[in-house]
Amino acid sequence: MAPRKASQTTTRKTEKNPAKKQTKSLLSAKLDAPSGGATRRINPLTAFLNVPSSASSSQTSQTKDKGKGKAKAELIDLTEDVNEQDTTAGQLWVDLYEPTTEVDLAVHVRKVNDVRGWLTESITGKNKYRKILVLTGPAGTAKTTTLRVLARELDADILEWSGPTTSGFADVSGDGDEDSAFAKFESFMARASSCNNLFASTSQTSRRQFMLLEDLPNILHADTKDRFHSLLRSLVLQKDGKPVPVVIVISDNGMRGEAIDERTSAGGWIGDKSTAIDVRTVLPSDLLHGQYVTQIRFNPIAVTLMKKALQALLTKRFGSSKTQQPTKEVLDIIIDSSNGDIRSAINALQFSCIVPKGAKKKRVQANVVMESVTRREQSLALFHLIGKVLYNKRKGDAPSPSASAKDVQREKDLDASLKDKPLLPEWLGEHDRRTSRVDINDIYADSPIDSSLLGLYVHQNYPQFCNDVDELAALSENLSWVDASGGEQWYQANPYRFHILTAGTLHALPSPVERRHQKVFKPEFFGNLEKEKNAWSSVDDVRRWVSTRALRDPNAWRVGGWSRNSIVTELGGILKARDATMAKASQGSKDANERAPRQHRDFSHLPFVLRSVGRVEQLGETEEDQQDGSMAWDGTIDVEDEAAAAARVGGWLDSDEIEE
Amino acid sequence: MSLWVDAYRPRTLNDLQYHKDLSARLKSLASSGDFPHMLFYGPSGAGKKTRITATLLELFGNGVDKLKIDQRVFLTPSKRKVEVNIVQSNYHIEITPSEAGNYDRVIIQELIKEIAQTQQVDLNAKQRFKVVIINEADSLSRDAQAALRRTMEKYMSNLRIILCANSTSRLIAPIRSRCLLIRVPAPSKSEMQDVMQYVSRRAGFDLPPDVSDKIIADCDGNMRKCILVLEALKMQSPDLTGDVTIAKPDWELYCNKVGDMIIAEQTPARVMDVRAKLYELLSHCIPPTVILKTIAERIVSRVDEAIKPQIMHWAALYEVRMRNGTKKIFHLEAWVIKVMSIYKHHFYGMDLTELMEDF
Repeated sequence: MAPRKASQTTTRKTEKNPAKKQTKSLLSAKLDAPSGGATRRINPLTAFLNVPSSASSSQTSQTKDKGKGKAKAELIDLTEDVNEQDTTAGQLWVDLYEPTTEVDLAVHVRKVNDVRGWLTESITGKNKYRKILVLTGPAGTAKTTTLRVLARELDADILEWSGPTTSGFADVSGDGDEDSAFAKFESFMARASSCNNLFASTSQTSRRQFMLLEDLPNILHADTKDRFHSLLRSLVLQKDGKPVPVVIVISDNGMRGEAIDERTSAGGWIGDKSTAIDVRTVLPSDLLHGQYVTQIRFNPIAVTLMKKALQALLTKRFGSSKTQQPTKEVLDIIIDSSNGDIRSAINALQFSCIVPKGAKKKRVQANVVMESVTRREQSLALFHLIGKVLYNKRKGDAPSPSASAKDVQREKDLDASLKDKPLLPEWLGEHDRRTSRVDINDIYADSPIDSSLLGLYVHQNYPQFCNDVDELAALSENLSWVDASGGEQWYQANPYRFHILTAGTLHALPSPVERRHQKVFKPEFFGNLEKEKNAWSSVDDVRRWVSTRALRDPNAWRVGGWSRNSIVTELGGILKARDATMAKASQGSKDANERAPRQHRDFSHLPFVLRSVGRVEQLGETEEDQQDGSMAWDGTIDVEDEAAAAARVGGWLDSDEIEE
Repeated sequence: MSLWVDAYRPRTLNDLQYHKDLSARLKSLASSGDFPHMLFYGPSGAGKKTRITATLLELFGNGVDKLKIDQRVFLTPSKRKVEVNIVQSNYHIEITPSEAGNYDRVIIQELIKEIAQTQQVDLNAKQRFKVVIINEADSLSRDAQAALRRTMEKYMSNLRIILCANSTSRLIAPIRSRCLLIRVPAPSKSEMQDVMQYVSRRAGFDLPPDVSDKIIADCDGNMRKCILVLEALKMQSPDLTGDVTIAKPDWELYCNKVGDMIIAEQTPARVMDVRAKLYELLSHCIPPTVILKTIAERIVSRVDEAIKPQIMHWAALYEVRMRNGTKKIFHLEAWVIKVMSIYKHHFYGMDLTELMEDF
């Protein structure tokens, strides 16, 4: 609370200025002063300036301000009233409550220790191989925050590169602009790595520092990428002076499961590497697998850690008074839906706190609002979509044992409204099915996913819903057909994929589907695709190794060199043999080029284990679902069941809200 | 020291150990001054590329082996940049367009036009034309093949194209008809035996004939594979005497075991197990067609005569699907389940007429 009071006087002046940006930067500058943080991001959510009246009033009353909750602060009326509100209203909590000590970090202790170990070794120059550190991981896993906290702890300066802001797209084609932007980056790197003693020389102690690259140059541009790579290489090989260690932060942009993802990464096409920013594009492969680069991967933040952090944040904000805090359920929803992204969790939390909290009725609304801010709604819809398709309910099915009387009645009504189709002729008798309760057009309209991803979900889960191989055969045949239909070009794509896929699946599944407490899993497809992509880049490394050696040998010249497939299928054996003999013969005395890149194991080693432990992730309707596992999957197909299940688990959804 | 396959490769047409008549023909073709576009095809490891190399040397003499590697960037119509590695000498250039995926057409057009429009400036050159070698021509997209067809006619005066492919079936007819087709068959067992002996002499050791017989039996006429296996074997057990077992590559053993899994049990649970294995194979970059073929061969070798044709029929069908579709696993798995179904019905002596209707 101290900084807030400190800024009280300044805000009176600044808030009169309608330029929001300036207000905020001043505010943050003031707030930052005691914490000593480096740069602050500008708040993108101007919504928080127009704080709903009741929220501000609650905060003001909480902080015992003199404003007495003048609830008339409509919109951004810059009168005295506003000034008396909470001065931090314009701040995102993410920035406001950024951890300053290790205790506050929601990151696993071991990860923090890894990063700290690296930083101390590199800054003190103890280990000459600590030149580049790459932090990867999904967004919102406290990568940058960890760095800042550790920098403070180690008393080191962060030299951060922030890209120049170019004005619009006026000169997209001009490579000159690209050049100048990169030139700026180059000079930054040069200055940061050599002129580190500008201020330090005056005060004898040479400050410890490291470089932080988060805002990378446009490495999707081939030339820029090459220059960036050579810059990094020269930085690593720099011998004289005390080089400044570089930390690169790369957030994964996960695959979204659309057709393009598979197409680009299918069948090893080199072009796909350049379409995404990941470790392999940012760093050249010789560096990445070399000894100078360390990679530390951050995982999504664990539920328990996140809960602790959010609780701590709330106590910091509201003190011990429980009345102001969001309810436990809201907190659970936030944590649930954040998928380990703490930034989005805190944003959602802040949002939830400005929702008016009055009557009981309003509390329900708060939950509805939460639904729309968080990603929960989508996963719920997906869960039900897959359920509807895979449980294949048809007219006249007996109601599930868990269904209530209301549900049974509803099913009956639905059946009455369904018309029976005429029977098929005798020779097609085997294809006769009772009328389905699933309306494909309906689920198509509501589907949160496209046909490609639906196919993957169905594919991941269908075997457990079938009883024998013939049903499986019909279903997989349909999946295969749908996947192969259409042409190579986007305009040749089959527009009815979704319908055919669903109809074919419903047709092939047994009716009724036996209830065996089936669980629905997320497709393993993308994890494997990622592995395959990594392995392909290893294949390329080996291929480069083989062909450069062949080129150097004048007798060995031949046309074509090695194709990727022949490397994979034929070279594996010899690489393994080489490894074995090389290890025996000499330990590293041979010239490095004799040794094949060790990444070749990615494709040459394939031990067979009969039952491998998959890392299949269950598609959860709720987090609780995954934890106790007892919440089986039956009875949640129909609309009523959904609501009932939802109410049973969290109590945050009322049945009349989902029925539309 | 590079690999034996690369180090002891024959350089000239005279050095070639087998298909002597083919070598003689190539030699007279190279000296006739009337060199056509050519298409070399045949199974992998038969010696296509070795023959192309030797023919080039015959055409241009020394100097064609002074190579440099370039990285070229092409701009697609959608302003995307595609990088391709190009190996070239003063007299020839070789490209592997499949590296560019869907954009192979752009590369074919741009590159060939560029080469075709520049005359040979070296007055001492033996030939007035340059040679463009296109590797893995059978993986060219239809667009690219169509683009190639026009180029081949238009720039005949200062450009010859040599295509290298495993089979001609994936090349469009106009291209086939514009090339001189040269089939390089796999060597026979005795020819392979000769080559193995030659390689071991060059490497400086004695190769017992029974060992090389074993290797040859294992390699299906793939000479490159033979020599690689020999080198690996020599590394593992330097004396090569006694009972040597030839280790198959990991992926092959893996595929065989997957085949056994399919025959052993046909249930939804087993489908999940097999799927995990297929994923494992795919994520080790084993080409899906190779997976399908290896498993199919394994299964066919272990089932009743009556259902073999069906298994192969479906393997062929799903291979086509695999090419058209995007998700390999769907088609592999669909085939696995089909085989399970066929096997189960046959095993329990059920009526097959239902299944036959699909044919």
